[in-house]
Amino acid sequence: MTADAFLFWFLAITTIAGGITVVSVANPIYAALSLAFTMVSVAAVFVTLEAYFVAGVQLIVYAGAVMVLFVMVLMLFDLKHELEAFARGKVSGAIKLLTAGLLGGLLIGAIAYSPEGSKIAVGANQVAVAGDPTKNLGYRLFTQHIFAFEALGVLLLVIAVGAVALSRSKGGTHGQR
Amino acid sequence: MSQTALISLLLASPFIGFLINGFRRKHHSGNVAGAIASVAVFISFLCSIALWIELQGLPKDARSILVNFGSWISVGGLNVNFGFLVDQLSSLMILIITGVGFLIHLFSIGYMHHDPGVAKYFAYLNFFIFNMLVLVLGDSLVTLFVGWEGVGLASYLLIGFWFTDKDKASAGMKAFITNRIGDAAFLIGMFIFFTSFGTLNIQELNALAPTIAESTWYGIITLGTLFLFIGATGKSAQIPLYVWLPDAMAGPTPVSALIHAATMVTAGVYMIVRMNPLFLAAPNTMLVIAVIGALTVIIAASIGIVQNDIKKVLAYSTVSQLGYMFLACGVGAFTAAFFHLMTHAFFKALMFLGSGSVIHAMHEEQDIRKMGGLKKYLPWTHLTFMIGWLAIIGTPGFSGFFSKDEILWLSWHSPLGHWSLWGLGVLGATMTAFYMTRLMALTFWGESRVPKSTHPHESSPIMLIPLFVLAALSVVGGYVGIPHVIGAILPGHPENILANWLGPIIRPIPGITEAEASTEWTLMGISVGLALISSLTAYTLYTKKQELVRAMTEKIRPVYELVYKKYLVDEFYFGFIINPLVRISENIWAYIDVRFIDKCTFWAGDLIKGGGSFVRSLQNGNLQQYAMYIGLGLVLTLTFVMMR
Amino acid sequence: MDSVSSEGLSLITNVGLNHYLVLSTALFCLGLIGVLLRRNAIVMLMSIELMLNAVNISFIAFGKYNNNIDGQIMVFFVMTIAAAEAAVGLALAVSIFKRFKEVNIRFFEHLRG
Repeated sequence: MTADAFLFWFLAITTIAGGITVVSVANPIYAALSLAFTMVSVAAVFVTLEAYFVAGVQLIVYAGAVMVLFVMVLMLFDLKHELEAFARGKVSGAIKLLTAGLLGGLLIGAIAYSPEGSKIAVGANQVAVAGDPTKNLGYRLFTQHIFAFEALGVLLLVIAVGAVALSRSKGGTHGQR
Repeated sequence: MSQTALISLLLASPFIGFLINGFRRKHHSGNVAGAIASVAVFISFLCSIALWIELQGLPKDARSILVNFGSWISVGGLNVNFGFLVDQLSSLMILIITGVGFLIHLFSIGYMHHDPGVAKYFAYLNFFIFNMLVLVLGDSLVTLFVGWEGVGLASYLLIGFWFTDKDKASAGMKAFITNRIGDAAFLIGMFIFFTSFGTLNIQELNALAPTIAESTWYGIITLGTLFLFIGATGKSAQIPLYVWLPDAMAGPTPVSALIHAATMVTAGVYMIVRMNPLFLAAPNTMLVIAVIGALTVIIAASIGIVQNDIKKVLAYSTVSQLGYMFLACGVGAFTAAFFHLMTHAFFKALMFLGSGSVIHAMHEEQDIRKMGGLKKYLPWTHLTFMIGWLAIIGTPGFSGFFSKDEILWLSWHSPLGHWSLWGLGVLGATMTAFYMTRLMALTFWGESRVPKSTHPHESSPIMLIPLFVLAALSVVGGYVGIPHVIGAILPGHPENILANWLGPIIRPIPGITEAEASTEWTLMGISVGLALISSLTAYTLYTKKQELVRAMTEKIRPVYELVYKKYLVDEFYFGFIINPLVRISENIWAYIDVRFIDKCTFWAGDLIKGGGSFVRSLQNGNLQQYAMYIGLGLVLTLTFVMMR
Repeated sequence: MDSVSSEGLSLITNVGLNHYLVLSTALFCLGLIGVLLRRNAIVMLMSIELMLNAVNISFIAFGKYNNNIDGQIMVFFVMTIAAAEAAVGLALAVSIFKRFKEVNIRFFEHLRG
């Protein structure tokens, strides 16, 4: 077993474990922490796929900012008890599991039977992208996709304004006064 | 005027009259409505004369005018046009229809003057004339059937004209329904002919008729003509579908004159004469026609002897005379049948109008036991009625003599005839003489039994003029058909004009031989003699010896009752056919319609409602279920895509 | 027997595009289950984030194995938008909590037909 293979399998296990934990624990704080763990694991997967910049961004933005936001909001709520963490109804629950399972099964089947996936380019091809991948990324982003990039900026501005506007409603988050 | 224009005007004129009077139906002026209607029919009459003159100009073997207004049905192998054929036969027929029709319209102006629905009446009369013309002129059995149905409808409307009286309305229904049964048979006949010959065009059918007669009972032509004949029994009131005609006397008297004497009831005879090559190829059908005709003559005449309503006597007389026409057709004497149709139209319409005049004078009294001695109050009516009477009993020199004798002679002499048919015919003639003389005696002669309060007075001129014209025609109308044997002894040797005119389109009776003049004279003498004796007997009995009549009636009381009740035929139909059908229909309604079909409709409604409730429950506000549906949809789509 | 085991072995030792795609699919389905089964609104949002991460993995994997930088660019955009969406979603959740004192979605079936 090569190092790549071992790394992949290890990271796959941790990612999946983290994901399962997110979905199955009742306490939302535990779920948030577990999600952060999954994000880190996914960043590591990005590293094995040689998307170094994206891995960095994943850590900074997702694990760093988004998850902090989640945890902060959860703290705000101060939920002492969690009534009914999971949806009621055994039959509908079973159908939901079945749906997700079928979807997964179909996709995996499609993956298994397509010719695309027989690309096992490992190692040798990794420097096929000429030059530094991060430099390339930056180059492409600021020339070919400049419009979308700028639009993203506008979007973020709008989001900021919107978030502020939404939180201006009356009422506090801790008890009645 | 071109031929197309003539035929168009001929047909359009009564139809436009119908529309005008129809839209004006709430107006009460009888004179205006009557004038419009009469003018419309008179225009048609002039067109008929013009067309007849046109036909004279054509050579003898191509004497027909066919006008085609375009294709009507062109489906599969069936090609029916809006085509109208004026040939030797139909030209005479339209002359009769429009001529007699015009006279009856004139009479109606006087007769229906005080009726509130007079505009509607004239609209219906014009509608009838239009349909009768379509029937007669149609070049295809389908067009003929359109007119056939139309006159049936007009007859229903006119019989039940005073529909607020339940009995009169029922009479109308009876006529229509009985006609319908005949029409169903007519349709089956048309189907048979279409499937075997592939066409329903009359000229083509006649051309395709084989010259060798079929001998079996189940041959195509025999079956087809048999069904057509059953249709004719409905329209022309023969056994077994004659029951509507006496009840049809509930309608206004001019209607009885026009429809139930002169024109509509002759449609069956006309149809058979038209299709004579087909009928000649089916001798078994001809036998049935002849036998039914002869039996109808006798049975109707017997019922007519004991009737007390003046119109009912004339109604049964019509049924009986129609029997003669069918007897003639059955033995192959188509020309004689048509001849009798023509003369009968004259004298029967005359007598019906005369009875209308009597009824009008007697202030709607129709029972002849309450009449008598009307000769001195209604001289002109009496004179014209007498001419009609002389014609119908077959007095030599009058029209009825020539036509009836022709029929009797050929029922003996034709290879398709038989002496028994002749015997029945002579018996019928005797009975005809008897009951017609009885009618005359009880109505016009003898002592008056008219109640003192009724002051009978002669009718107005507008009602008398048609009587005079028809009386004249009843006298001279016979001379167009002078039989050969009489023509031979008269100075100038007049020929049988009618036979010559109709010759090209009527096939001769197969196997007919040259006759001995002496046989014909003998038979003529017998029938005339018997008629004379029977009228004298009736005259004596009913003017001078009424007590004898009463005594004789008492002696044969049960027989009298049976005949008076029309042999209980109506009761039989009601008991064995109509009431069971009604009972079955009621049961079907109760069990199948209410319990089953209605349940099905409710079930369908419930299904929809249930489906709706189920779908509504899917939208329960549960976000996760919505997400599940999205997921399921995605799974299905992927499955579908991957399956391909 | 040998070929099966060698095939199976190669499946473990030779990690290719398929493996990353299967990982991505599994993570996606886990996120989907979380969306369908959890009742806390915040946890649902977290599950959605999980799904987005799974998609990111598959983009990067395709990008690498097709020698195309476009995969990474796509992930760049997805990440930005996902963050923005999380921010707004959480702001909404805060508003709801302020109003209803609850974020358990079983109380919010106002869309019932």
